[in-house]
Amino acid sequence: MIRLVTKEDIEHVARLMRIDIENVDEYFESIQKILNYFDNLDKVDLASEEIPIHEVTVSELRDDKYVPFESKLISQLKSYKEGFIRAPKMN
Amino acid sequence: MSLAVSAIEYIDNVKNGNTTVEDFVAKTLEQISKHDTKLHAYLSINENALDQARQTDKKIKAGEKIGAFYGMPISVKDNICVKGGKTTCASKMLEGFVAPYDATVVSKLKNQDAILIGKTNLDEFAMGATTEYSAFGPSRNPWNTEYVPGGSSGGSAVSVSALECIASLGSDTGGSVRNPASFCSIVGLKPTYGLVSRYGLVSYANSIEQIGPFGRRVEDVALLLNHIAGKDQNDSTTIDNHSQDYLDKIDAGIQGKKIGVISEMSKGDGLDKNVENAFWRAASAFESLGASVDQVSLDLVQHTVATYYVLTTAEAGSNLSRYDNLRYGYSLDLEGYEFKSYISKARRNFGPEVIRRMILGGFVPSAGFAGKYLLKALKVKSKLKKEIVDAFKKFDFLISPTVPILPFKFGEKTEDPLAMYLADINTITANLTGIPAISVPFEIHDGLPIGIQIHANMLQEKLLLQAAYALQGTTKLPGVPL
Repeated sequence: MIRLVTKEDIEHVARLMRIDIENVDEYFESIQKILNYFDNLDKVDLASEEIPIHEVTVSELRDDKYVPFESKLISQLKSYKEGFIRAPKMN
Repeated sequence: MSLAVSAIEYIDNVKNGNTTVEDFVAKTLEQISKHDTKLHAYLSINENALDQARQTDKKIKAGEKIGAFYGMPISVKDNICVKGGKTTCASKMLEGFVAPYDATVVSKLKNQDAILIGKTNLDEFAMGATTEYSAFGPSRNPWNTEYVPGGSSGGSAVSVSALECIASLGSDTGGSVRNPASFCSIVGLKPTYGLVSRYGLVSYANSIEQIGPFGRRVEDVALLLNHIAGKDQNDSTTIDNHSQDYLDKIDAGIQGKKIGVISEMSKGDGLDKNVENAFWRAASAFESLGASVDQVSLDLVQHTVATYYVLTTAEAGSNLSRYDNLRYGYSLDLEGYEFKSYISKARRNFGPEVIRRMILGGFVPSAGFAGKYLLKALKVKSKLKKEIVDAFKKFDFLISPTVPILPFKFGEKTEDPLAMYLADINTITANLTGIPAISVPFEIHDGLPIGIQIHANMLQEKLLLQAAYALQGTTKLPGVPL
Protein backbone atom coordinates (compact mmCIF):
# COMPACT_ATOMS: atom_id res chain seq x y z
CA MET A 1 0.00 0.00 0.00
CA ILE A 2 1.51 3.28 -1.05
CA ARG A 3 0.36 6.34 0.82
CA LEU A 4 1.37 9.58 -0.80
CA VAL A 5 2.66 12.18 1.57
CA THR A 6 0.47 15.26 1.77
CA LYS A 7 1.31 18.84 2.62
CA GLU A 8 -0.56 18.36 5.89
CA ASP A 9 1.71 15.40 6.74
CA ILE A 10 4.77 17.58 6.21
CA GLU A 11 3.33 20.41 8.27
CA HIS A 12 2.47 17.94 11.02
CA VAL A 13 5.96 16.43 11.12
CA ALA A 14 7.55 19.90 11.02
CA ARG A 15 5.42 20.88 13.98
CA LEU A 16 6.49 17.77 15.91
CA MET A 17 10.14 18.51 15.04
CA ARG A 18 9.62 22.11 16.29
CA ILE A 19 10.53 23.60 12.93
CA ASP A 20 8.76 26.70 11.78
CA ILE A 21 8.41 26.54 8.02
CA GLU A 22 6.93 29.59 6.44
CA ASN A 23 6.05 28.01 3.12
CA VAL A 24 5.44 24.27 2.96
CA ASP A 25 5.47 24.43 -0.85
CA GLU A 26 9.20 25.13 -0.70
CA TYR A 27 9.75 21.61 0.65
CA PHE A 28 6.73 19.64 -0.53
CA GLU A 29 7.94 18.62 -3.97
CA SER A 30 11.49 17.69 -2.96
CA ILE A 31 10.39 15.74 0.12
CA GLN A 32 7.76 13.84 -1.80
CA LYS A 33 10.29 13.02 -4.52
CA ILE A 34 12.84 11.82 -1.98
CA LEU A 35 10.30 9.72 -0.06
CA ASN A 36 9.20 8.17 -3.36
CA TYR A 37 12.83 7.36 -4.05
CA PHE A 38 13.07 5.71 -0.61
CA ASP A 39 10.33 3.34 -1.81
CA ASN A 40 13.09 1.56 -3.77
CA LEU A 41 13.85 -0.19 -0.51
CA ASP A 42 10.61 -2.16 -0.96
CA LYS A 43 12.33 -4.07 -3.77
CA VAL A 44 14.98 -5.64 -1.53
CA ASP A 45 14.35 -9.13 -0.17
CA LEU A 46 14.93 -8.69 3.54
CA ALA A 47 12.97 -11.68 4.86
CA SER A 48 15.93 -13.22 6.69
CA GLU A 49 17.59 -9.99 7.80
CA GLU A 50 17.93 -8.81 11.37
CA ILE A 51 18.38 -5.27 12.59
CA PRO A 52 22.08 -4.73 13.41
CA ILE A 53 22.98 -4.10 17.03
CA HIS A 54 26.15 -2.44 18.28
CA GLU A 55 27.15 -4.11 21.54
CA VAL A 56 29.71 -2.79 24.00
CA THR A 57 30.78 -4.78 27.05
CA VAL A 58 30.32 -2.79 30.25
CA SER A 59 33.89 -3.55 31.32
CA GLU A 60 35.11 -1.70 28.23
CA LEU A 61 33.40 1.50 29.24
CA ARG A 62 35.20 4.14 31.25
CA ASP A 63 34.58 4.24 35.01
CA ASP A 64 31.21 5.67 35.95
CA LYS A 65 32.48 8.42 38.21
CA TYR A 66 32.04 12.14 38.50
CA VAL A 67 34.69 14.15 36.67
CA PRO A 68 34.28 17.90 37.04
CA PHE A 69 34.36 19.76 33.73
CA GLU A 70 37.05 22.35 34.29
CA SER A 71 36.34 24.37 31.17
CA LYS A 72 33.87 27.18 31.15
CA LEU A 73 31.15 25.20 29.44
CA ILE A 74 28.39 27.20 31.08
CA SER A 75 29.76 30.43 29.68
CA GLN A 76 28.11 29.32 26.41
CA LEU A 77 24.68 29.25 28.00
CA LYS A 78 22.41 32.11 27.24
CA SER A 79 20.45 33.90 29.98
CA TYR A 80 22.39 32.06 32.70
CA LYS A 81 22.07 33.36 36.25
CA GLU A 82 23.02 31.82 39.60
CA GLY A 83 22.80 28.24 38.46
CA PHE A 84 19.65 28.66 36.38
CA ILE A 85 18.92 29.19 32.71
CA ARG A 86 16.08 31.46 31.85
CA ALA A 87 13.80 29.97 29.18
CA PRO A 88 10.55 31.11 27.59
CA LYS A 89 7.48 30.27 29.66
CA MET A 90 5.87 26.85 29.29
CA ASN A 91 2.14 26.77 28.55
CA MET B 1 60.98 26.43 0.28
CA SER B 2 57.92 25.99 -1.92
CA LEU B 3 54.53 25.76 -0.27
CA ALA B 4 53.82 22.73 -2.48
CA VAL B 5 55.96 20.38 -0.36
CA SER B 6 54.62 17.15 1.09
CA ALA B 7 54.28 16.80 4.86
CA ILE B 8 57.29 14.50 4.94
CA GLU B 9 59.41 16.99 2.93
CA TYR B 10 58.30 19.83 5.20
CA ILE B 11 59.43 17.96 8.31
CA ASP B 12 62.80 17.09 6.72
CA ASN B 13 63.34 20.72 5.73
CA VAL B 14 62.58 22.02 9.21
CA LYS B 15 64.77 19.33 10.78
CA ASN B 16 67.68 20.19 8.46
CA GLY B 17 67.31 23.91 9.09
CA ASN B 18 66.41 24.68 5.46
CA THR B 19 63.39 26.60 6.67
CA THR B 20 62.04 27.90 9.94
CA VAL B 21 58.50 27.18 11.07
CA GLU B 22 57.89 30.93 11.26
CA ASP B 23 58.96 31.44 7.68
CA PHE B 24 56.75 28.64 6.40
CA VAL B 25 53.71 29.65 8.45
CA ALA B 26 54.15 33.30 7.37
CA LYS B 27 54.24 32.21 3.71
CA THR B 28 51.16 30.06 4.26
CA LEU B 29 49.29 33.03 5.77
CA GLU B 30 50.34 35.15 2.78
CA GLN B 31 48.99 32.48 0.45
CA ILE B 32 45.70 32.54 2.36
CA SER B 33 45.36 36.31 2.21
CA LYS B 34 46.23 36.25 -1.48
CA HIS B 35 43.77 33.56 -2.58
CA ASP B 36 41.15 32.94 0.05
CA THR B 37 38.96 35.95 -0.68
CA LYS B 38 38.14 34.14 -3.91
CA LEU B 39 38.44 30.48 -2.81
CA HIS B 40 36.80 30.84 0.62
CA ALA B 41 38.33 27.69 2.08
CA TYR B 42 38.49 29.19 5.57
CA LEU B 43 35.77 30.39 7.93
CA SER B 44 38.28 31.53 10.56
CA ILE B 45 42.05 31.85 10.85
CA ASN B 46 44.13 31.16 13.96
CA GLU B 47 45.40 34.62 14.90
CA ASN B 48 48.11 33.12 17.13
CA ALA B 49 49.57 30.95 14.36
CA LEU B 50 52.73 33.08 13.91
CA ASP B 51 53.35 33.23 17.67
CA GLN B 52 52.95 29.48 17.90
CA ALA B 53 55.38 29.11 14.97
CA ARG B 54 57.99 31.22 16.78
CA GLN B 55 57.51 29.17 19.96
CA THR B 56 58.05 25.98 17.98
CA ASP B 57 61.21 27.42 16.38
CA LYS B 58 62.48 28.27 19.85
CA LYS B 59 61.90 24.73 21.08
CA ILE B 60 63.72 23.34 18.04
CA LYS B 61 66.65 25.72 18.51
CA ALA B 62 66.92 24.87 22.20
CA GLY B 63 67.01 21.18 21.35
CA GLU B 64 63.83 20.49 23.32
CA LYS B 65 61.64 17.49 22.60
CA ILE B 66 59.52 18.29 19.58
CA GLY B 67 56.36 16.61 18.26
CA ALA B 68 56.11 14.73 14.99
CA PHE B 69 54.60 17.62 12.99
CA TYR B 70 57.33 20.24 13.62
CA GLY B 71 54.93 23.18 13.47
CA MET B 72 53.23 22.04 10.28
CA PRO B 73 50.20 24.17 9.36
CA ILE B 74 47.12 21.94 9.36
CA SER B 75 43.52 23.10 8.84
CA VAL B 76 40.46 21.62 10.54
CA LYS B 77 36.87 21.40 9.29
CA ASP B 78 34.63 23.77 11.22
CA ASN B 79 32.50 20.98 12.72
CA ILE B 80 35.47 19.80 14.82
CA CYS B 81 36.00 21.64 18.12
CA VAL B 82 39.18 23.63 18.74
CA LYS B 83 39.15 25.10 22.25
CA GLY B 84 38.70 28.85 22.47
CA GLY B 85 37.92 29.24 18.76
CA LYS B 86 34.71 29.52 16.81
CA THR B 87 33.02 26.30 15.69
CA THR B 88 30.12 27.27 13.44
CA CYS B 89 29.38 24.13 11.37
CA ALA B 90 28.79 26.75 8.65
CA SER B 91 25.40 27.42 10.26
CA LYS B 92 23.85 30.66 11.43
CA MET B 93 22.55 28.60 14.33
CA LEU B 94 26.09 28.35 15.74
CA GLU B 95 27.41 31.71 14.60
CA GLY B 96 29.63 32.98 17.40
CA PHE B 97 29.75 29.64 19.27
CA VAL B 98 33.14 29.21 20.95
CA ALA B 99 34.20 25.61 21.60
CA PRO B 100 34.90 25.03 25.30
CA TYR B 101 37.19 22.03 24.68
CA ASP B 102 39.43 20.39 22.08
CA ALA B 103 38.24 17.41 20.05
CA THR B 104 40.43 14.36 20.71
CA VAL B 105 41.94 14.60 17.22
CA VAL B 106 42.77 18.26 17.86
CA SER B 107 44.51 17.54 21.20
CA LYS B 108 46.46 14.81 19.46
CA LEU B 109 47.63 17.17 16.69
CA LYS B 110 48.51 19.89 19.20
CA ASN B 111 50.47 17.41 21.34
CA GLN B 112 52.57 16.64 18.26
CA ASP B 113 53.31 20.33 17.61
CA ALA B 114 51.00 20.86 14.66
CA ILE B 115 49.85 24.45 14.13
CA LEU B 116 46.11 24.60 13.56
CA ILE B 117 46.08 27.33 10.98
CA GLY B 118 42.32 27.75 10.60
CA LYS B 119 38.82 26.30 10.45
CA THR B 120 37.49 25.31 7.05
CA ASN B 121 34.17 25.76 5.26
CA LEU B 122 31.59 23.02 4.82
CA ASP B 123 27.97 22.45 3.89
CA GLU B 124 25.86 23.42 6.90
CA PHE B 125 26.25 20.68 9.53
CA ALA B 126 28.12 18.62 6.87
CA MET B 127 24.91 18.06 4.90
CA GLY B 128 25.80 18.40 1.24
CA ALA B 129 28.32 17.55 -1.45
CA THR B 130 29.44 20.96 -2.76
CA THR B 131 29.73 23.51 0.14
CA GLU B 132 26.86 25.39 -1.56
CA TYR B 133 24.79 24.84 1.58
CA SER B 134 27.27 26.74 3.78
CA ALA B 135 25.42 29.62 5.46
CA PHE B 136 28.54 31.73 4.85
CA GLY B 137 28.84 31.14 1.09
CA PRO B 138 30.50 28.32 -0.88
CA SER B 139 34.17 27.49 -1.33
CA ARG B 140 35.51 27.47 -4.89
CA ASN B 141 37.47 24.76 -6.66
CA PRO B 142 41.06 26.01 -7.15
CA TRP B 143 41.29 24.03 -10.40
CA ASN B 144 38.50 26.12 -11.86
CA THR B 145 36.71 28.61 -9.66
CA GLU B 146 33.50 28.31 -11.67
CA TYR B 147 33.19 24.77 -10.33
CA VAL B 148 32.23 23.32 -6.94
CA PRO B 149 35.06 21.86 -4.84
CA GLY B 150 32.92 18.93 -3.65
CA GLY B 151 31.77 18.51 -0.09
CA SER B 152 30.87 18.52 2.54
CA SER B 153 34.52 19.00 3.66
CA GLY B 154 35.07 21.25 0.62
CA GLY B 155 36.95 23.96 2.53
CA SER B 156 39.45 21.41 3.85
CA ALA B 157 40.09 20.03 0.37
CA VAL B 158 40.46 23.51 -1.13
CA SER B 159 42.86 24.61 1.62
CA VAL B 160 45.16 21.63 0.93
CA SER B 161 44.84 21.82 -2.85
CA ALA B 162 45.47 25.60 -2.98
CA LEU B 163 48.60 25.34 -0.76
CA GLU B 164 46.88 27.21 2.08
CA CYS B 165 48.11 24.51 4.50
CA ILE B 166 49.88 21.15 4.22
CA ALA B 167 47.16 18.84 5.45
CA SER B 168 43.65 18.95 6.87
CA LEU B 169 41.08 17.04 8.86
CA GLY B 170 37.55 16.62 7.57
CA SER B 171 34.64 14.36 8.41
CA ASP B 172 33.13 11.73 6.13
CA THR B 173 29.52 10.63 6.63
CA GLY B 174 28.74 9.64 3.04
CA GLY B 175 31.87 10.64 1.14
CA SER B 176 32.46 14.10 2.59
CA VAL B 177 36.25 13.59 2.67
CA ARG B 178 36.66 11.48 -0.47
CA ASN B 179 34.33 13.48 -2.73
CA PRO B 180 36.09 16.87 -2.30
CA ALA B 181 39.49 15.13 -2.35
CA SER B 182 38.56 13.75 -5.77
CA PHE B 183 37.18 17.09 -7.04
CA CYS B 184 40.28 19.02 -5.86
CA SER B 185 42.93 16.46 -6.92
CA ILE B 186 44.23 15.57 -3.47
CA VAL B 187 44.21 12.45 -1.27
CA GLY B 188 41.39 11.88 1.24
CA LEU B 189 40.87 8.92 3.58
CA LYS B 190 37.74 7.68 5.36
CA PRO B 191 39.13 5.40 8.07
CA THR B 192 37.43 2.28 9.46
CA TYR B 193 34.48 3.25 11.66
CA GLY B 194 35.90 3.54 15.17
CA LEU B 195 39.57 3.94 14.21
CA VAL B 196 39.51 7.69 14.89
CA SER B 197 37.73 9.26 17.87
CA ARG B 198 34.67 11.39 17.13
CA TYR B 199 34.84 13.16 20.50
CA GLY B 200 34.52 16.86 19.70
CA LEU B 201 33.09 16.30 16.21
CA VAL B 202 29.63 17.86 16.01
CA SER B 203 27.29 14.91 15.39
CA TYR B 204 25.26 14.60 12.21
CA ALA B 205 24.84 10.83 11.71
CA ASN B 206 27.11 9.39 14.35
CA SER B 207 26.53 5.68 13.63
CA ILE B 208 28.48 5.97 10.37
CA GLU B 209 30.59 9.14 10.31
CA GLN B 210 34.35 9.30 10.78
CA ILE B 211 36.98 12.02 10.92
CA GLY B 212 39.47 11.57 8.08
CA PRO B 213 42.73 13.19 6.90
CA PHE B 214 43.48 15.07 3.66
CA GLY B 215 46.93 15.53 2.12
CA ARG B 216 48.53 16.21 -1.23
CA ARG B 217 50.36 12.88 -0.99
CA VAL B 218 49.32 9.41 0.24
CA GLU B 219 52.24 9.33 2.70
CA ASP B 220 51.01 12.59 4.29
CA VAL B 221 47.63 11.01 4.97
CA ALA B 222 49.40 7.99 6.49
CA LEU B 223 51.42 10.29 8.76
CA LEU B 224 48.28 12.06 9.97
CA LEU B 225 46.50 8.77 10.58
CA ASN B 226 49.47 7.59 12.68
CA HIS B 227 48.77 10.41 15.09
CA ILE B 228 44.96 10.63 15.19
CA ALA B 229 43.98 6.94 15.33
CA GLY B 230 43.35 4.81 18.39
CA LYS B 231 41.22 4.15 21.45
CA ASP B 232 39.67 7.11 23.23
CA GLN B 233 37.79 6.77 26.50
CA ASN B 234 35.54 9.64 25.41
CA ASP B 235 34.23 7.69 22.39
CA SER B 236 33.03 4.18 23.21
CA THR B 237 33.04 3.18 19.53
CA THR B 238 36.82 3.61 19.18
CA ILE B 239 39.09 0.65 18.49
CA ASP B 240 42.60 -0.02 19.81
CA ASN B 241 44.89 -0.15 16.77
CA HIS B 242 47.99 -0.93 18.87
CA SER B 243 49.70 2.25 17.58
CA GLN B 244 50.13 0.78 14.13
CA ASP B 245 52.65 2.64 11.92
CA TYR B 246 50.90 3.29 8.59
CA LEU B 247 53.97 4.95 7.06
CA ASP B 248 56.23 1.99 7.66
CA LYS B 249 56.57 -0.08 4.43
CA ILE B 250 54.08 2.18 2.61
CA ASP B 251 56.13 1.44 -0.53
CA ALA B 252 55.64 -2.35 -0.20
CA GLY B 253 53.73 -2.46 -3.50
CA ILE B 254 50.74 -4.58 -4.45
CA GLN B 255 52.38 -7.45 -6.33
CA GLY B 256 50.05 -10.46 -6.28
CA LYS B 257 47.13 -8.62 -4.67
CA LYS B 258 43.60 -9.29 -5.86
CA ILE B 259 41.53 -6.29 -6.86
CA GLY B 260 37.79 -6.32 -7.49
CA VAL B 261 36.15 -3.70 -9.70
CA ILE B 262 32.72 -2.98 -8.21
CA SER B 263 30.48 -3.37 -11.28
CA GLU B 264 27.61 -1.30 -9.89
CA MET B 265 29.93 1.68 -9.36
CA SER B 266 31.91 1.51 -12.58
CA LYS B 267 29.31 1.41 -15.34
CA GLY B 268 25.82 2.62 -16.12
CA ASP B 269 23.97 5.73 -17.18
CA GLY B 270 25.02 7.86 -14.24
CA LEU B 271 28.72 7.42 -14.97
CA ASP B 272 30.50 10.14 -16.97
CA LYS B 273 32.39 8.69 -19.97
CA ASN B 274 35.57 10.58 -19.14
CA VAL B 275 35.49 9.33 -15.55
CA GLU B 276 34.85 5.80 -16.81
CA ASN B 277 37.81 5.92 -19.21
CA ALA B 278 40.14 7.29 -16.54
CA PHE B 279 38.95 4.59 -14.15
CA TRP B 280 39.83 1.79 -16.56
CA ARG B 281 43.27 3.32 -17.10
CA ALA B 282 43.67 3.13 -13.30
CA ALA B 283 42.59 -0.52 -13.34
CA SER B 284 45.28 -1.19 -15.98
CA ALA B 285 47.81 0.68 -13.85
CA PHE B 286 47.04 -1.70 -10.98
CA GLU B 287 47.61 -4.66 -13.31
CA SER B 288 50.93 -3.21 -14.43
CA LEU B 289 51.90 -3.08 -10.73
CA GLY B 290 51.43 -6.84 -10.49
CA ALA B 291 47.90 -7.04 -9.11
CA SER B 292 45.09 -9.04 -10.68
CA VAL B 293 41.89 -7.20 -11.55
CA ASP B 294 38.45 -8.84 -11.79
CA GLN B 295 34.84 -7.76 -11.67
CA VAL B 296 32.78 -8.13 -8.51
CA SER B 297 29.08 -7.46 -8.18
CA LEU B 298 27.62 -5.86 -5.05
CA ASP B 299 23.94 -6.09 -5.84
CA LEU B 300 22.79 -3.81 -3.03
CA VAL B 301 24.87 -0.80 -4.10
CA GLN B 302 21.84 0.34 -6.14
CA HIS B 303 19.92 0.71 -2.86
CA THR B 304 22.60 2.43 -0.82
CA VAL B 305 21.56 6.02 -1.55
CA ALA B 306 18.02 5.39 -0.26
CA THR B 307 19.38 3.44 2.73
CA TYR B 308 21.92 6.14 3.54
CA TYR B 309 19.47 9.04 3.43
CA VAL B 310 16.89 7.19 5.53
CA LEU B 311 19.46 6.44 8.23
CA THR B 312 21.24 9.80 8.19
CA THR B 313 18.11 11.94 8.20
CA ALA B 314 16.73 9.92 11.13
CA GLU B 315 19.95 10.46 13.07
CA ALA B 316 20.16 14.11 12.04
CA GLY B 317 16.60 14.72 13.23
CA SER B 318 17.64 13.45 16.63
CA ASN B 319 21.15 14.97 16.78
CA LEU B 320 20.03 18.44 15.73
CA SER B 321 17.25 18.56 18.31
CA ARG B 322 19.84 20.04 20.71
CA TYR B 323 19.75 23.33 18.79
CA ASP B 324 17.03 24.97 20.81
CA ASN B 325 18.77 28.34 21.01
CA LEU B 326 18.95 28.03 24.80
CA ARG B 327 22.11 25.97 25.18
CA TYR B 328 23.68 27.24 21.96
CA GLY B 329 22.66 29.78 19.45
CA TYR B 330 22.27 33.32 18.43
CA SER B 331 20.61 36.31 19.98
CA LEU B 332 16.82 36.02 19.95
CA ASP B 333 14.87 37.73 22.70
CA LEU B 334 12.94 35.36 24.96
CA GLU B 335 10.13 37.82 25.46
CA GLY B 336 6.90 37.32 23.58
CA TYR B 337 7.28 33.58 22.97
CA GLU B 338 6.05 30.49 24.73
CA PHE B 339 8.52 27.62 24.93
CA LYS B 340 7.62 25.61 21.82
CA SER B 341 7.15 28.58 19.53
CA TYR B 342 10.46 30.04 20.70
CA ILE B 343 12.36 26.91 19.62
CA SER B 344 10.48 26.71 16.31
CA LYS B 345 11.18 30.36 15.60
CA ALA B 346 14.85 30.01 16.52
CA ARG B 347 15.23 27.11 14.11
CA ARG B 348 14.36 29.36 11.21
CA ASN B 349 18.07 30.02 11.29
CA PHE B 350 18.72 26.57 9.83
CA GLY B 351 19.29 26.56 6.07
CA PRO B 352 16.87 24.80 3.69
CA GLU B 353 18.87 21.56 3.34
CA VAL B 354 19.09 21.11 7.12
CA ILE B 355 15.34 21.75 7.43
CA ARG B 356 14.63 19.30 4.61
CA ARG B 357 16.70 16.59 6.29
CA MET B 358 15.17 17.24 9.71
CA ILE B 359 11.67 16.89 8.27
CA LEU B 360 12.68 13.68 6.47
CA GLY B 361 14.29 12.60 9.74
CA GLY B 362 10.99 13.16 11.49
CA PHE B 363 9.15 11.07 8.89
CA VAL B 364 11.24 7.96 8.51
CA PRO B 365 11.25 6.74 12.13
CA SER B 366 7.68 7.90 12.91
CA ALA B 367 4.76 5.62 13.78
CA GLY B 368 3.30 4.25 10.57
CA PHE B 369 6.47 4.91 8.56
CA ALA B 370 9.26 3.29 10.60
CA GLY B 371 8.60 -0.20 9.23
CA LYS B 372 8.59 1.10 5.68
CA TYR B 373 11.71 3.27 5.97
CA LEU B 374 13.95 3.13 9.04
CA LEU B 375 13.74 -0.57 9.95
CA LYS B 376 14.06 -1.58 6.32
CA ALA B 377 17.11 0.64 5.83
CA LEU B 378 18.76 -0.90 8.89
CA LYS B 379 18.20 -4.36 7.42
CA VAL B 380 19.61 -3.33 4.03
CA LYS B 381 22.67 -2.07 5.91
CA SER B 382 23.08 -5.54 7.52
CA LYS B 383 22.68 -7.31 4.20
CA LEU B 384 25.13 -4.99 2.45
CA LYS B 385 27.68 -5.73 5.16
CA LYS B 386 27.36 -9.45 4.35
CA GLU B 387 27.93 -8.73 0.64
CA ILE B 388 31.08 -6.83 1.56
CA VAL B 389 32.34 -9.56 3.89
CA ASP B 390 31.88 -12.08 1.06
CA ALA B 391 33.65 -9.82 -1.46
CA PHE B 392 36.69 -9.51 0.81
CA LYS B 393 36.94 -13.31 0.97
CA LYS B 394 37.93 -13.14 -2.72
CA PHE B 395 39.63 -9.74 -2.98
CA ASP B 396 42.16 -7.62 -1.09
CA PHE B 397 40.81 -4.35 -2.49
CA LEU B 398 37.63 -3.11 -4.14
CA ILE B 399 37.92 -0.17 -6.54
CA SER B 400 35.67 2.33 -8.28
CA PRO B 401 35.68 5.93 -9.46
CA THR B 402 35.39 8.07 -6.28
CA VAL B 403 32.59 10.16 -7.81
CA PRO B 404 30.75 9.03 -10.96
CA ILE B 405 30.83 12.54 -12.44
CA LEU B 406 33.33 15.34 -13.01
CA PRO B 407 33.21 18.45 -10.81
CA PHE B 408 30.22 20.53 -11.88
CA LYS B 409 29.32 24.21 -11.91
CA PHE B 410 27.70 26.10 -9.05
CA GLY B 411 23.92 25.83 -8.94
CA GLU B 412 23.73 22.80 -11.23
CA LYS B 413 22.27 20.50 -8.61
CA THR B 414 20.90 22.73 -5.86
CA GLU B 415 17.44 22.79 -7.47
CA ASP B 416 17.17 19.01 -7.33
CA PRO B 417 18.29 17.59 -3.96
CA LEU B 418 17.82 14.01 -5.14
CA ALA B 419 20.25 14.53 -8.04
CA MET B 420 22.72 15.90 -5.49
CA TYR B 421 22.22 12.83 -3.27
CA LEU B 422 22.90 10.48 -6.20
CA ALA B 423 26.43 11.92 -6.56
CA ASP B 424 27.19 9.97 -3.34
CA ILE B 425 26.43 6.56 -4.87
CA ASN B 426 30.06 5.38 -4.96
CA THR B 427 31.16 6.65 -1.56
CA ILE B 428 28.39 5.68 0.87
CA THR B 429 28.99 1.92 0.81
CA ALA B 430 32.14 2.42 2.90
CA ASN B 431 30.17 4.40 5.48
CA LEU B 432 27.27 1.96 5.68
CA THR B 433 29.62 -1.00 6.13
CA GLY B 434 32.32 0.69 8.23
CA ILE B 435 35.21 -0.27 5.91
CA PRO B 436 38.03 2.18 5.09
CA ALA B 437 38.23 3.86 1.67
CA ILE B 438 40.59 6.36 0.10
CA SER B 439 40.43 8.68 -2.91
CA VAL B 440 43.65 9.05 -4.90
CA PRO B 441 44.01 11.79 -7.56
CA PHE B 442 44.55 10.09 -10.91
CA GLU B 443 43.93 12.34 -13.90
CA ILE B 444 42.98 15.86 -14.94
CA HIS B 445 40.40 15.97 -17.73
CA ASP B 446 39.91 19.38 -19.39
CA GLY B 447 41.25 21.00 -16.25
CA LEU B 448 38.95 19.02 -13.93
CA PRO B 449 40.30 16.38 -11.51
CA ILE B 450 39.30 12.70 -11.42
CA GLY B 451 39.95 10.54 -8.36
CA ILE B 452 40.06 6.76 -7.92
CA GLN B 453 38.55 5.12 -4.87
CA ILE B 454 40.10 2.07 -3.19
CA HIS B 455 38.33 0.16 -0.39
CA ALA B 456 39.98 -2.34 1.95
CA ASN B 457 38.59 -4.64 4.63
CA MET B 458 37.96 -3.47 8.22
CA LEU B 459 41.11 -2.05 9.87
CA GLN B 460 43.26 -2.80 6.81
CA GLU B 461 44.38 0.84 6.45
CA LYS B 462 48.00 -0.24 6.19
CA LEU B 463 47.32 -2.34 3.09
CA LEU B 464 44.96 0.33 1.75
CA LEU B 465 47.63 3.04 2.00
CA GLN B 466 50.17 0.74 0.30
CA ALA B 467 47.78 0.28 -2.64
CA ALA B 468 47.07 4.02 -2.78
CA TYR B 469 50.79 4.79 -2.67
CA ALA B 470 51.44 2.32 -5.50
CA LEU B 471 48.73 3.94 -7.65
CA GLN B 472 50.05 7.41 -6.86
CA GLY B 473 53.44 6.28 -8.20
CA THR B 474 51.91 5.67 -11.65
CA THR B 475 50.58 9.22 -11.96
CA LYS B 476 52.17 12.45 -13.07
CA LEU B 477 49.77 15.27 -12.31
CA PRO B 478 50.17 18.97 -12.99
CA GLY B 479 50.32 21.50 -10.14
CA VAL B 480 47.23 23.42 -9.18
CA PRO B 481 46.72 26.35 -11.63
CA LEU B 482 46.54 29.21 -9.13
